[in-house]
Amino acid sequence: MSFRLLFIRLVVRPMLREPVRTALTVFAVALGVGVVVAIDLAGQAAAGSFHSSLESLAGRGGLSITAIGGIDQQILAELVRLPYSFKFSPRIESFATINGHGEALPFLGLDLIGDASGQDLQGGSQRPLDAATELANDRPIYAGWRLGFHHGQHVRLLIGDRMQDFTVAGVLSHREGEIGLDTLIVVADIGLAQEVTGKPGKLDSIDVQLPPFGSLEQWQGLLRAQLPQSVTISPEGSRTDENRKMLAAFRWNLHVLSYIALVVGAFLIYNTIAISVVRRRNEIGVLRALGATRNLVRNGFLAEALFFGVFGSVAGLALGRVMAIGAVQLVSNTVKSLYVTSEAAPLQFTLGGVLTGLAVGIGVSVIAALAPAIEASQVAPIEAMARGREEYTVRVRSRRSLWWAIAALATAGVCSQMPAIDRQPIFAYTAAALLVAGTSAAIPNLVLFTDAAINRIVERLFAVEALVALRSLRASLGRTSVMAGALAVAVAMTASVGIMVGSFRQTVRVWMNNQLQADFYLRPAGSGAADRHPTIDPDIPDRIQRLPQVAAVDRFRVYAINYDGLPASLGGGQTDAAEMSSQTQFLPGEDSQKILQTLPTGDYAIVSEPFASKHNIHVGDSIHLGLAGKMRAFRILGIYYDYSTERGFIILDRATLLKYLPDPAASNIAVYLKPGVNAEEVRRAIGNIIGGRAVMAFSNNKLRAEAIKIFDRSFRITYALEAVAVFVAVIGIAGSLLALVIDRRREFALLRFLGAAREQVRGIILWEAGLLGLLAIGIGLVLGFLLSLLLIFVINKQSFGWTIQFHLPVLLLAVALGGVYLATVLAGLYPARTAMRMNPIEAIHEE
Amino acid sequence: MPLVALNHVGKVYQTDGTPVTALDDISLTVEPGDFLALVGRSGCGKSTLLNLCGAMDFPTSGEVVLGGYITTRLNDADLTRLRREKVGFVFQSFQLLHTLSVVENVELPLLLARRPGARGIAMERLRWVELDGHANRLPHQLSGGQQQRVAIARALVHNPPLLLADEPTGNLDSTTGDLVLSILSRAATDFGVAVIIATHSAESVAAARRIVHLRDGRIAPAMAAV
Repeated sequence: MSFRLLFIRLVVRPMLREPVRTALTVFAVALGVGVVVAIDLAGQAAAGSFHSSLESLAGRGGLSITAIGGIDQQILAELVRLPYSFKFSPRIESFATINGHGEALPFLGLDLIGDASGQDLQGGSQRPLDAATELANDRPIYAGWRLGFHHGQHVRLLIGDRMQDFTVAGVLSHREGEIGLDTLIVVADIGLAQEVTGKPGKLDSIDVQLPPFGSLEQWQGLLRAQLPQSVTISPEGSRTDENRKMLAAFRWNLHVLSYIALVVGAFLIYNTIAISVVRRRNEIGVLRALGATRNLVRNGFLAEALFFGVFGSVAGLALGRVMAIGAVQLVSNTVKSLYVTSEAAPLQFTLGGVLTGLAVGIGVSVIAALAPAIEASQVAPIEAMARGREEYTVRVRSRRSLWWAIAALATAGVCSQMPAIDRQPIFAYTAAALLVAGTSAAIPNLVLFTDAAINRIVERLFAVEALVALRSLRASLGRTSVMAGALAVAVAMTASVGIMVGSFRQTVRVWMNNQLQADFYLRPAGSGAADRHPTIDPDIPDRIQRLPQVAAVDRFRVYAINYDGLPASLGGGQTDAAEMSSQTQFLPGEDSQKILQTLPTGDYAIVSEPFASKHNIHVGDSIHLGLAGKMRAFRILGIYYDYSTERGFIILDRATLLKYLPDPAASNIAVYLKPGVNAEEVRRAIGNIIGGRAVMAFSNNKLRAEAIKIFDRSFRITYALEAVAVFVAVIGIAGSLLALVIDRRREFALLRFLGAAREQVRGIILWEAGLLGLLAIGIGLVLGFLLSLLLIFVINKQSFGWTIQFHLPVLLLAVALGGVYLATVLAGLYPARTAMRMNPIEAIHEE
Repeated sequence: MPLVALNHVGKVYQTDGTPVTALDDISLTVEPGDFLALVGRSGCGKSTLLNLCGAMDFPTSGEVVLGGYITTRLNDADLTRLRREKVGFVFQSFQLLHTLSVVENVELPLLLARRPGARGIAMERLRWVELDGHANRLPHQLSGGQQQRVAIARALVHNPPLLLADEPTGNLDSTTGDLVLSILSRAATDFGVAVIIATHSAESVAAARRIVHLRDGRIAPAMAAV
């Protein structure tokens, strides 16, 4: 008989006889694959294929000239005099918000008059650019087609701290087949852009189109020689590359998280195949007696897993595409909050992505089935027919698994001490995988231990249903262990990520309590971001400082810069040393008083912990920044805790910063009141000073609440991933309980003969679900605690460089685990209903 | 009043839409303390008749009266209660729960009925079948005959007036089968239990005080009065 026929008769038919269970297993694989595909698609769209918003409409293949604090326009005048056929396109790069609400859009100033042909505008413009006509308009702008503006429309844009009026002179319509990011953008002539962004005589960057001969490096060298040291010359697209590099660790960790549901799915595949093997042990014995080879038996079970893998993966691809719609929003929010202003690219399936999804789903399914399939192939005909499932149970109980568990846990301990490789905590994740594997291997022993520990209690305190349920779980130890293992892994992941996020949240809260001591904080209106630092008119803090109730005003200026190939932030603050020392927490062993007293006395800097970690910088090292025409060295006095951005901060004293970048405007202002003054009165006075400017004033509490809101928004994606993993595990529990009901139909029938009511039969199943849930949650909590230590102290530190204080978010965990427990018990409802509806006469006479 | 009365009972199953008659116009009464053997070939309706007597199944015509109750008029909860009080079952393949110890198997009907003092009664029944020394063993540690004795102890643990045994010696050798039959006979004597055995073994027939022959779902007329 051919393998195909055997496969249909011995594998496909039994699966079709239990369609609900088969569907649940396929669905579990589909969900696992779906999450991986969704995160891949979303990560690619929001963080991978994104390009820096500020590089919109930039040229391709040329060079870009930038400088901290902008380039003097005079430099352009010198460059155009060079005796080479360069084409220079000056740019102003800022952000605008329509009517001061919603997402910030790139607002670009381009030389529309002098360089109309050099820009990419005419292709999309509604009509050819007619400089004379456009300039006759009142503050003409060009809007990307997706903004929905029409020619001649009057538009109010918030730029910096001012609302300004413009007229749409043209719409940048998209070309066929292009749905790129340049469609959400506002463009103005460079002169107007300089005026409205408050950068007269300055340029943010200069695009350089190179002559058609010579190499890029050659031209870069030539320009380098002509330009001041403080100016950076880099290939076009560098900022996009730098941002991608910055996001790499984030994406990597997100990817790892996305695989959790699949790992849980693997447990379920293992369980499904193991159950198949146990149930058909006699059948295997007969087949072997009839001449089936070991390979045939093994391949039959692997084919069953393949069936689940193929159907689950195909369904998972479709499911992943749908889930990606929600995921891209969540990932995009996190990227915007923590890293960089960007617009997610459209979701696009690639052949590679499809193949990865299929390979992962099918591969995991088949690998998960290997152990039970090999176990099946080793069944001797006589052994199977004589002893049935007892043998399997006995084998699972073997102490060998305990030794494996100890070995895995010990190796995990070693791996957790190893350093990261290229900022990727590969060893730490290996340790996490080993912790999961070790705990899983220990589960049979843990089940036996738990059974022994609670047997008496169950016997004495609960009805017979509980006793029968407990005994049944112990009797089918292999199955119980895998079911408990799957749910425990999901619970552990949920608990560990919950503890990690909760600890992070608490650390940020404590840090904010220290950091935010002022009574009011001011910043330009519009949504905040890690890479946008619009400024406030310098007159505002000066006038606030003159208010009689105000003790001090702290002006903080931030520039988004690039340091050593990665985005970073350069800041300058002016608080006096005593005040700052209470607010700024340095790493252990550093003398904050001394650091802050020295900081204003020369070219010194302090850096944030993520910056130091990312660039491997220590106290006493020097960093070099291009400022005021030269590369300047700043000695690092201290490394301080900072949780505001993962980009990393370099902080100079404000006077030092102003010495090199003499723009007095501040990005943020902190206002300290004198003791006992009426805060509400001051708030009104500040409101009057702000007047028509779009500046937002936050009270201390409101700013903290705002920060926590952003924090919570950033971690929604992780919660979503955990929820899916738990859902997969609960599906697995439902499927396994269903199998158990079908398997034990004679037992339930017997109970009915012995006087059990239908409700008592249902009670047994629900007790089994409940006990399984309790066991899994118990194991999951312990494992989750260990994993959270890894996440907090190793993985997070190696990936992002943050020191997080351990904190147990008891309420969050209680709610989450309560939900998991409830879901587990509910998962038993359908199998319980099936058991209740069984005809006991039919079942008892089955032989 | 008889313990069990079957009045013109018929049972028709639908198999793939085709009606199959399992029992046809059966009338029978069983008094307390009776020891009755239902004899017939495989498929003649013996097990169906036992299930009807034990209120596990309903007739499609006629009525079954168990302990004064017409089974078809009771709801599921009442039927469960009736079985708990009136009926004990013994099966051919013992049907012990392998996850429970011997004594736990025996006390199971009492626990399901939420009756107090289950362990003491169960031990008493185990003593009666002379297996109290094996109380804490698991079923698979016992021989077939011992397992069936445990099953009998379990069937009698709640003092039912009716014990239904479906081929109780079918899986046993003749010596062990005889022992089991003698225990069932003793149950009728010691506890006044009415025992109905479905069987095709000569030993069982010999032990019975009444024999009812079934053929094609009907009581064979010549044998009905034996």
